[in-house]
Amino acid sequence: MELTKNITLGIYLPGETSIHRLDPRTKIIATTLLIILLLFIRSYEAYGVFFIFTAAIIYFAGIPPRFALCGLKPMLPVLILMWVFQLFLYSTPDAEVLFSWFIFTATDTGLHMGNMITLRVLFLFTVTTMLTLTTSIVSLTDGLESLLNPLRKIGLPSQELVMTMVIALRFVLILAEELDKIVKAQMARGVAFDRGNFIQKTRKIFPVFLPLFINAFKRAEELIVAMEARSYSGGKGRTKMKTLHMGRVDLAAGGIMILYAALMVFILFSVSPRI
Amino acid sequence: MNPLIEAVDLSYTYRAGSGKEVQALNGINLQVNRGEILAITGQNGSGKSTLARHFNGLLTPKAGKVLVEGLSVAEKENIPEIRKIVGMVFQNPDNQLISSIVEEDIAFGPENLGLTPAVIRDRVEYALETLGLQDLRSESPNQLSEGQKQLVAIAGVIAMKPRCIVLDEPTAHLDPRGRRGVLDSILHLNREEGITTVLLTHFMNEAVHCNRMIVMDQGVIKMEGSPGEVFRRREQIISLGLDLPVAAQLARGLRSRGIEVPEDIIQTEEIIDCLCRLK
Repeated sequence: MELTKNITLGIYLPGETSIHRLDPRTKIIATTLLIILLLFIRSYEAYGVFFIFTAAIIYFAGIPPRFALCGLKPMLPVLILMWVFQLFLYSTPDAEVLFSWFIFTATDTGLHMGNMITLRVLFLFTVTTMLTLTTSIVSLTDGLESLLNPLRKIGLPSQELVMTMVIALRFVLILAEELDKIVKAQMARGVAFDRGNFIQKTRKIFPVFLPLFINAFKRAEELIVAMEARSYSGGKGRTKMKTLHMGRVDLAAGGIMILYAALMVFILFSVSPRI
Repeated sequence: MNPLIEAVDLSYTYRAGSGKEVQALNGINLQVNRGEILAITGQNGSGKSTLARHFNGLLTPKAGKVLVEGLSVAEKENIPEIRKIVGMVFQNPDNQLISSIVEEDIAFGPENLGLTPAVIRDRVEYALETLGLQDLRSESPNQLSEGQKQLVAIAGVIAMKPRCIVLDEPTAHLDPRGRRGVLDSILHLNREEGITTVLLTHFMNEAVHCNRMIVMDQGVIKMEGSPGEVFRRREQIISLGLDLPVAAQLARGLRSRGIEVPEDIIQTEEIIDCLCRLK
């Protein structure tokens, strides 16, 4: 089970706060709105307001702050690299040179751009993490299915797509366990996965993934037969046991979101960006 | 009254027309009667799974016919109705559960039937209760034992309220405790809920609990009758690659040592009674 314990697909923190109880559709729409707003932010003032709002949500959802940030750790090198690239590579003709070294020149606009983009990625990550922390994967898929439903009219097989997601989620763990078994079986027969150079190591991957894929296809075939036996014939004519309800909380949340979005738009237009 | 399922001169060939045909079924005549529990046994490759897959239209006959409540499985428009009548449970529970939550998985079948949310909820409650899974309703199948997973798979079929369930070696993957639990549930569904049951199995100790059994070999029904009748023909059972139930083996051994026990003992309880009376 060594491989399986490292797989956390959308860590969900169960809770009873009003943010947990929101309809998944409300949360998905709100998150999308926040992401769109983020793409337009170009000043520290706007980020300040965004930070306060995000922090408020984290507080009301009862999420320990370290949880909201824990996922950021593996991304840190990428974030730093991005910041450095912007610092040295971005500049405008009227930019002031901060310092220069060898062929690299850092300008104040580069610094500003670096900060803006790094903050954007940071907040993008936090906002989406907030969604997965407060919404179980099942209600997420339910919400997604309901939101995508109108697109059926233009030919998007929304229910089938969501069904695929549901099945994928169920089989992630099963396949991870299977991978673990195959790796151990190969090790028992003397394969040393940690030895050799890059090419040698890469070649050892094939005898692991080949059986994994073959097994996965076999499973898929059996699953199809089992689904057919239970009268599955695509999304048409299917109903759902759980129906989603938008309540007063959702109405309030929607109101707050609209007010907040209006405030953000006002700030975006009134504070002139420096670049 | 007409039988629930009827197979007439049923034949089936895999890879037909490829030059490498495998004749899986060869002229099967069989009836599944209402309310009975029928065991189909036979060694691997004897054709029992192929036969079972005709019962709810997963396969259609290459020759002969299969009727479910008088509906032919060869007619495509009958298939949805037939799948409502006959539910099917497979060997590996992991490859038949689709949702990461037990009750959502049980709801899958009724959802496919297009029932209203309230009715689906009722059906799920009924299935959970009948199989004693209420406490596991919000668990993920990944956290359950193999036996529990198989019970969830059975619940998923029961929630569709079929008149008949066909179980294709449902206990083959399970440990003894899981096997016991699944067998008890199958017997309960048959006796208390009146669901006609077809049980495919390798385990003779499961077959002895059925009303009737057939033994298949190379696509043909070789033996048919009550478990008592079938297991009396020991030589034939062995020659078909199967074995006697433990109680029958024991009874046989005792008789060969001169201890008087009846010849038709097949169930463990019977041999225990018998031995107690000998004292």
